Amino acid sequence: MINHWTFRCKDVAMLISRSMDEKMPLRIRMGIRFHLMMCSLCRNYKKQLWIIHKAFQKLDSMERSPDRPLRLPDTVRQKLIDLFKDHG
Amino acid sequence: MPADDASTLSPPSAWVDTYGDYLYGFAFYRVQDEELARELVQDTLLAALKAKDSFAGRGSEKTWLTGILKHKIIDSLRRKYRDAVFEDQELDERKMHDSFDHNGRWKTGPAQWASDPERLLEQKAFLDIIRKCLLELPERSAHALSLRELEGESTQTICKVLNVTATNVWVILHRARFLMRKCIETKWLE
Repeated sequence: MINHWTFRCKDVAMLISRSMDEKMPLRIRMGIRFHLMMCSLCRNYKKQLWIIHKAFQKLDSMERSPDRPLRLPDTVRQKLIDLFKDHG
Repeated sequence: MPADDASTLSPPSAWVDTYGDYLYGFAFYRVQDEELARELVQDTLLAALKAKDSFAGRGSEKTWLTGILKHKIIDSLRRKYRDAVFEDQELDERKMHDSFDHNGRWKTGPAQWASDPERLLEQKAFLDIIRKCLLELPERSAHALSLRELEGESTQTICKVLNVTATNVWVILHRARFLMRKCIETKWLE
């Protein structure tokens, strides 16, 4: 049994990730918060995961922009165009 | 011209030019595999062609095509992992342990990447690193992370699609994020 007031960085790293995926019980959230108050490294860690989360959304929206980095290869494009020629 | 006013579809022959790159990029970030992404785009457009008479016109053409692609992606991942039992080795445990001392404290702590995270996210070089690091993750971890972060899928759904238990899915996501940040930190600060 982990004592919630003495979480180790290793536990907190796991719990920070998990709290991004589900709602954690209050005592766990308190334990994380208490640890973060005292630990700048884990605060950095939490911010990093947040940045990664935001970056994924950013990459996603880049697919929608005209200067998106990924292009369907020409061979595939041509094959599909040929296939669709007869359909209007 | 794309028919964005809903209700009508543009001719299928125009789909490839209008949506090909978009669908390909969409698929690629979710499956991290060029060949599979190409197949998915092709399957999606063919399925759309077959189903074009049932296009309900409630959303835009692009939304409709993207919806079909999303189903194809989930299906292909489900098929891929259906018989692939999860192995602990996939998690690269060693890289995690190396980061902590025997008291569970950071050995070399996570750095502050930027004083202004919003500005960091505007930098192309940083996003390029994110993309590279995603491709370096173990396959199942990368799939778990993109289902979660890009699609916002619940962990229950991810368990089913990737054929892992509820406990494993948290561990997989945790390690995927952990490895991502480690990879980013190495590449970004060097």
